[in-house]
Amino acid sequence: MNRIIDISFLSLAGSYLLLIIPLGIMLYQRVSMLKETVVAVIRMTLQLLFVGLYLQVVFKLNSPYLNLAWVAVMVLVADMSILKGCRLKIQRFVLPVFVALLAGTALPVMAFVGPVLKLPGWFEAQYVIPLAGMILGNCLRADIIGLNNFYQAIKANEKAYHQSLAYGAGFTEALTPFFREALRSALAPTLASMATIGLVSLPGMMTGVILAGSNPFTAIKYQIGIMIAIFTGTSLTVFLAIRLTIRNSFNSYGILDHKIFRNT
Amino acid sequence: MDVANRELAIQLHKLSICYDGQWVLKDFSLEVFPGDKVVLTGPSGSGKSTVLRCILGLAVPDSGNVAVLGETITSHNIWKARQYIAYVAQEPDLGSGSVREVIEKPFTYRANCKLRNNLEHLPALMERFNLPQSILHKQIANLSGGEKQRIALIISILLDRSIVLLDEASSALDKDNKQAVADYFNQAENITVLSVAHDTEWLEFATRVVDMQEHNSIIREEK
Repeated sequence: MNRIIDISFLSLAGSYLLLIIPLGIMLYQRVSMLKETVVAVIRMTLQLLFVGLYLQVVFKLNSPYLNLAWVAVMVLVADMSILKGCRLKIQRFVLPVFVALLAGTALPVMAFVGPVLKLPGWFEAQYVIPLAGMILGNCLRADIIGLNNFYQAIKANEKAYHQSLAYGAGFTEALTPFFREALRSALAPTLASMATIGLVSLPGMMTGVILAGSNPFTAIKYQIGIMIAIFTGTSLTVFLAIRLTIRNSFNSYGILDHKIFRNT
Repeated sequence: MDVANRELAIQLHKLSICYDGQWVLKDFSLEVFPGDKVVLTGPSGSGKSTVLRCILGLAVPDSGNVAVLGETITSHNIWKARQYIAYVAQEPDLGSGSVREVIEKPFTYRANCKLRNNLEHLPALMERFNLPQSILHKQIANLSGGEKQRIALIISILLDRSIVLLDEASSALDKDNKQAVADYFNQAENITVLSVAHDTEWLEFATRVVDMQEHNSIIREEK
């Protein structure tokens, strides 16, 4: 197998020329997304440049503490974007969601690098950081869907929720239908992608492993491992994110505190 | 247990509640004896529904207190107190599912599972309130307002509570059905009913009518 071909800066710059097509379509159809597109492309470039440079340093040093700190920063950024995505107040939820993300990411990563890959060191940057990033990205998406679904559903169906309390439901009993529905909708996308993987799309990790010059069979083994890790991580993180935020979101009479939402 | 009186089914003591800088209730007091049928009247916005919601702990007063069956309500005992109270909201939202599922749902709660046998009275109650048995298979969302109200009333009756709070619970019912509901609670001497209503049929049924407007005008004078 060949080693991967590096892309020269000049050819990379050339690849930006492809953007003429989406920009042209936008101009032609007058889709007012030009500004957002330019901002997004610039952000993507700067963020990835930064990460590329940073990871070079991290990989070279390969210090467990630095790696741990980097994972913590990734979790914190994910935490913030979840709360922003769900329009929930940051100060109230930053800690519980951080814990939920950390648990949902760390447990599957440890299982992967430990018993599955049997890495000599537990914190090999080359493995831990990409794996943590992939699982975390999925946890982030699942938490946004789960938290949003849970709190918005209670807000939208508050009368029915109050009625169940009035009928003598315990706190957990009254929340159960909403909790169940939130878990279901947060896990559905991962479940759907597990069921169609390989048929509809070649997943990112598998593509990466193949491009890096490995045997496709090694690639699918990685892919199976990561899918299981992602599914485990997302279930755990959504369960914890809802479970841990409930205490801050209801008063002791079991009533939803509307101050948890931003801009309401 | 401080100000509570053992004799009373419901005691409200100087209840005040403020939403967005506006008093919805100010120093509202009310005593309801067991078996009383009290009706709260008054224009919309006079705080009638809020009174019922405070008794259930669905709204928390800024000051004052609520006692149910002699116990002052706190966030600890409200969960127990709700097991003595039935509540039919204005335009009740009973969730989703078939009518039968909706009716059986509250009996799956731990607090109510000993009441499950009461479901055998369901056919008789449905007949009494002019609902056909076939309605049990319909989706609750497809029912009319009046049908939903009667289903909510039937659930409250099946739950066998000693206190019933009705928030315009008969507003969508025709004259005959309204009478059927009034007759039911009238003959149920042990049940305390605190209701919010406008219609005259319902006022006739009351043993006492409390006009919230009078209470509110006192607030305005005080201001």
